[in-house]
Amino acid sequence: MVVNPKFKQVFVLSTAMLSFISFWKAASIVLCDFGSSAYYAGGIAMNAFGPAFPWFIMGVMLFSGLMLGVYTESCIMFVRGGVYVVVREAMGKVMAKLSVSALVFDYALTGPISSVTAGLYLGSLLENLLPLLHINWHVPGRTFAVVFALLVTAYFWLENIRGIEESADNNLKIISFVAVVAVILIAWSGFTLYSRGFTLPPFRPVFSEAALGWTVNFPWLRTAGLIGLVMAFGHSILALSGLETLAQVYREIEDPKVQNLKKAVVVIFLFSVFFTGLLTFISALIIPGDLIAGKYADNLLSGLALELNGPYWGRLGMQIAVVVSGVLMLVGAVNTSFVGANGVLNRVAEDGILHDWFRHLHKKYGTTYRIVNIIALIQALIILVSGGNIFLLGEAYAFGVLVSMTFNTASMIILRFKHREEEREWMFPLNFKYNNVYVPVGMMLVLLVLISATGMNLLTKKIATIGGLLFTAVFYTIFHVSEKMNEKKTRLYAHDEDNDEKMNLRREADIHTVVPELTKAHRVLVPVRNPNNLVHLASVLETVEDADTDIIVLSAKISKGIQSGGETMSDEDREVFSAVVLLAEKYGKTVKPIFVFSNDPFYSMAQVAQAAAVDEIVMGVSGSSGAEIQLERLAMAWGMLKKADAPAKPVLARVVWEGRQMTYQLS
Amino acid sequence: MIRQPDGVSLAALITQENVVFLEGKPSKEEAVRQLTERILPQVSEIIPRKALFDRVAEVEKLNPVLESGFYIPHAKFPDLDTFHAVLGILPEGFVDPGTGTTVKAALLLLSPHKPAFFQRHLNILSLLCQTFQPELVEKLAALKDPAAVIALLQGK
Repeated sequence: MVVNPKFKQVFVLSTAMLSFISFWKAASIVLCDFGSSAYYAGGIAMNAFGPAFPWFIMGVMLFSGLMLGVYTESCIMFVRGGVYVVVREAMGKVMAKLSVSALVFDYALTGPISSVTAGLYLGSLLENLLPLLHINWHVPGRTFAVVFALLVTAYFWLENIRGIEESADNNLKIISFVAVVAVILIAWSGFTLYSRGFTLPPFRPVFSEAALGWTVNFPWLRTAGLIGLVMAFGHSILALSGLETLAQVYREIEDPKVQNLKKAVVVIFLFSVFFTGLLTFISALIIPGDLIAGKYADNLLSGLALELNGPYWGRLGMQIAVVVSGVLMLVGAVNTSFVGANGVLNRVAEDGILHDWFRHLHKKYGTTYRIVNIIALIQALIILVSGGNIFLLGEAYAFGVLVSMTFNTASMIILRFKHREEEREWMFPLNFKYNNVYVPVGMMLVLLVLISATGMNLLTKKIATIGGLLFTAVFYTIFHVSEKMNEKKTRLYAHDEDNDEKMNLRREADIHTVVPELTKAHRVLVPVRNPNNLVHLASVLETVEDADTDIIVLSAKISKGIQSGGETMSDEDREVFSAVVLLAEKYGKTVKPIFVFSNDPFYSMAQVAQAAAVDEIVMGVSGSSGAEIQLERLAMAWGMLKKADAPAKPVLARVVWEGRQMTYQLS
Repeated sequence: MIRQPDGVSLAALITQENVVFLEGKPSKEEAVRQLTERILPQVSEIIPRKALFDRVAEVEKLNPVLESGFYIPHAKFPDLDTFHAVLGILPEGFVDPGTGTTVKAALLLLSPHKPAFFQRHLNILSLLCQTFQPELVEKLAALKDPAAVIALLQGK
């Protein structure tokens, strides 16, 4: 006779996806990519269309506010969003695969363009510092940049295999330091401009031969004023790269999720306008035009520091600060490119269009290391092929960002009509209501700008067009073949073992070994069984404070007979935990999922609740037995397992269903 | 005396008159039927015989036998205003066909089916399960008369 039935097996789900980050950290991850373009966008734009570049970089930064708005609406609608999910929902899988293929091209370039730029900044600083140390060594700029870029890529490759938490912390430190340097630089620049006076740069772009691309064959295209503006805007839009990362980190943002997203968006926008937009503009006012095009073309902000009013040692000190901050931020962008590409490819894989081989989890760190390995390899190859030429990388850049943003915005417009009944917590402004639809006039205007810039870039940026189309075709083929293989696998095997959420499950001998991991003041136990009946978990996630409450999510599987030790989770069990993880992500709150094999689900609840000394047990209503019987069974299990000398801590048991609940005080 | 903090008392629920020894090895259904017969006089003015037997037979299938060897068939009736119980001691026990557990003590509980009584109903179930642990069930099965049963319960 068994008095206190023991669990046959205890599994604890551990995944990086269940830890959440503040809006500061989320903003810093995005900014390390998006904001880092300040270090190279101006120089590349100057190279393309001359001294008018600061107007267009500032214009792109202001436009980023509109794009952030589009992303805010899409992120709120799709927690595990990103361009793939949004486009698939609106336009179907083919278009989604195309847009995500293009986006991966940009992620593949973000790392190299950032790390090479960092190497170039560092090389230019060494050129100034080494003579002061009486070292007569000429730094071979581009070669040095390539070697440095490869080292940085290798470093973040290893970091990302270890997981995102640590990387997000690093990004926040980097952005904080960059902000301090930027404030000093802006203040000093203000003093310089006050002392010297300034002339505003011309507004009319003057294109280089290379920047005209195939339009050299159509002279009328560049003579038209508006087309010229669109062309220059297209050449500046590489400064916008990195926004998609917002969609990738949204799932990681902590509760309250929507409010924190809005805060992150405001931080990102302000930082970008003041850092990228304003500093690029100030550079054009302070640095002589010939130096921007020559000496400082690939290290514009270094040039700004060196051309300020003040003693040389002071300017050199400022250059050191700019280079250190730039190197940190740019290498942060390399990290973000890993995080972003990994996130995008994971979303794609979850939908079955990337073979499961790619999603295999690292045994120790629980990361999708094979995807990280591939990203690292592609980036290393691009760095080598570029030979450290930032303008070549700049020419190839921005294809994906424009394509993905165009698809994303078009999809959000379509969804306004397709999902007209869905309540939106926030909508992009400028709408009018017609036939129950909020017609998105504002987003349509944004789409018009994007389509114009995309079309123009296809004609003017030859390397981006050819490289982007080739890369997109290759990735589209990989996705297509993977999808066919997965379909075949599904047909061959009735039970697809790896279709859903990849999980790291840790086997524990006893529930008591898990209890020390619960460190918060309050504890709530939420038993789950049906992935389609998680109203009770949602109500807990809505109401409890993540900071002071551990939410233990218990799934108990009935396993009759003697203890065998060989039980494993089935597809249905994994489906329950996938739904739990998705819901936790939606609310941005941490949960502790535990899976047990037990003789009786109510014994499991009582046993875990007593072992973990929970304050509350919140159950969903059972369709087969009903709330009263559930509470009776729990009360009986509670009494049976309760020790006579146990402390009389009151525990509230609740059965929750739509709009109702039944409570009982266990004692 | 075993009491719940809110005043639930087994002594008030299980009196000497409400303890019955079921001889031999009755089936689960037969044991429950005998307990129902025994509790009928307590509630006959409120619940018709047929309604009582039908309802108890219905819950007999739903209520699980505990792994401690204790069984609590329980039913709620809207017309009741107080709790009624009969404790059956089965010295030889019966084997529950569902779980294979040998049952040597069973308590038939009738509760008022009203929201105000639900908390106390659950408290009684919890307290019964806490009290009737395997050691106690074995000791009860070895006793010979109701007075000794009450004495043992009061000694807990």
